[in-house]
Amino acid sequence: MKETSIIVCRCEEVTLEQIREAIRQHGCSARETKLRTRAGMGICGGRTCRPLLERLMVPLEGDHASELPLKIQPPVRPVSFAQWGRSL
Amino acid sequence: MNAIYDLIVVGAGPAGLAAAGSAAQAGLKVLLLDEFMKLGGRLLGQLHQEPGGAWWNGIREAELLVLGAQEAGADIATGVSVTGLERTDNNGWTLWTTQGCYRTPFVLLATGAAESANPLPGWTLPGVMSIGAAQVMTNVQRVRVGNRGVVIGMSVLAMAIMSELRLAGIELAAIVLPPGNALSGKDSNPEAVLDSLLRFANLAPNAMLKYGAKFLQNSMLRNLALNLYPKQGIRMLDVPLQLRRCAIEIVGRDAVEGVLVADITPRGEPIAGSERVVEADFVCIAGGLYPLVELAAVAGCPFRYVPELGGHVPVHGENMQTLLPGLYVAGNITGVESAKVAIAQGRVAGLSIAFSAAAEKAPGEAEIKDAMEQVKLTRHEALIQFHPDIARSRAKLYQIEIV
Ligand SMILES: Cc1cc2nc3c(=O)[nH]c(=O)nc-3n(C[C@H](O)[C@H](O)[C@H](O)COP(=O)(O)OP(=O)(O)OC[C@H]3O[C@@H](n4cnc5c(N)ncnc54)[C@H](O)[C@@H]3O)c2cc1C
Repeated sequence: MKETSIIVCRCEEVTLEQIREAIRQHGCSARETKLRTRAGMGICGGRTCRPLLERLMVPLEGDHASELPLKIQPPVRPVSFAQWGRSL
Repeated sequence: MNAIYDLIVVGAGPAGLAAAGSAAQAGLKVLLLDEFMKLGGRLLGQLHQEPGGAWWNGIREAELLVLGAQEAGADIATGVSVTGLERTDNNGWTLWTTQGCYRTPFVLLATGAAESANPLPGWTLPGVMSIGAAQVMTNVQRVRVGNRGVVIGMSVLAMAIMSELRLAGIELAAIVLPPGNALSGKDSNPEAVLDSLLRFANLAPNAMLKYGAKFLQNSMLRNLALNLYPKQGIRMLDVPLQLRRCAIEIVGRDAVEGVLVADITPRGEPIAGSERVVEADFVCIAGGLYPLVELAAVAGCPFRYVPELGGHVPVHGENMQTLLPGLYVAGNITGVESAKVAIAQGRVAGLSIAFSAAAEKAPGEAEIKDAMEQVKLTRHEALIQFHPDIARSRAKLYQIEIV
């Protein structure tokens, strides 16, 4: 299957091939893969591709097995600065 | 900063609505928030016939739950997203929302589940949507999603929604499997898919699937069935269920024009030379569901990875309390199950919170126990089983974590 033409992160337009290549070359963790490729860093905050990225990662083991592979940060929805400011 | 509520419930699906109702009934001052403009969550899209013949109409069920919560005195606001949740030192929680900030001693997260996709080339074209989006457009917004569609992915959820699309008079050209790649895993393997379909054979309106399912429990017969499975599929509700075909690419210039499909072996490998284009003007991708846990994560909840429940779930007890004081969870955030289970869990959460808060009309322990029994009973009788091992994995979760 043509991995170059499968977009995984729609917001940042990162392909399956780019993500797999980053993992292969650098043996990286979920977080490092995200930082290297920008997959999951777009406006939707990873709502669409987070589960896909997690499927591509080597599963965490031992004490870490139950952690979320990708950290979730507030705000958990896209909000404007004005809205964020008003809510403080 | 608003600090007048004893309990803030995030999410007005079946779990949140039931919880808000029972907590308010017990005398707590409750605020229920949801980011959608309508109350009811995923319930709103549901329409199916129960084995006894009665119809489960999610819109009506939602209305009844809303009425219950309102009559009990809960305040409800729609169109408000909760964007952050933080524990404050003086035994309480701060909630950030798109409409201001709240402080409260008790929070219930009932944020439900989200869909995951199985990407393939062309899935960003206009006209491609998740199967759940097609459900919401059809049953909630009453918008025709298109004239002729292809569904990619075969699961309990896909079948349930497919039958709703048919009820709305929408033509479906075929249901095919997703292409095999690093992301689709078992979803692209006919053997594994047939196995999972057999679990809900009692739902199948197609006699062959319904009565055939029993025989197919036998693995030899199952292999035979897979090998003999007609390439053009078995028709169900007039839709060919093509277990031996997969989508390769969604094609179209500015929008969906069709899907390139290929025949596949019983193990899922495409057969060279069998490719053809099925014309369609919309495509539904049916991936899976996973618990929507964002707020539990930012609150600092410990998690457990439970594949039977759909992925990572916040660690919680049978009374729906998490390991963080004052923070509760109910519904699909605790594991993907049917709406009736979510309602039953919501009741448990509402009652346990009222008990903890020593509410004016707080329930006794016996009442909470009864409500917990009701969850198990409802789970046992649920029409749609999202996974065969839900009951066992729940028992394990509750035994290990709550002493
Ligand atoms: C697409 C889809 C289709 C389904 N179809 C069926 C079906 O046909 N039959 C069946 O039995 N089950 C179905 N389910 C399972 C379904 O999730 C349960 O039936 C039930 O609706 C779960 O109830 P809940 O209260 O836990 O969550 P939901 O009903 O999902 O409600 C959660 C609510 O929380 C709100 N919310 C989430 N995050 C926030 C936030 N940060 N701020 C504010 N509000 C928020 C959402 O807007 C939503 O209204 C489906 C699930 C999905 C995702």
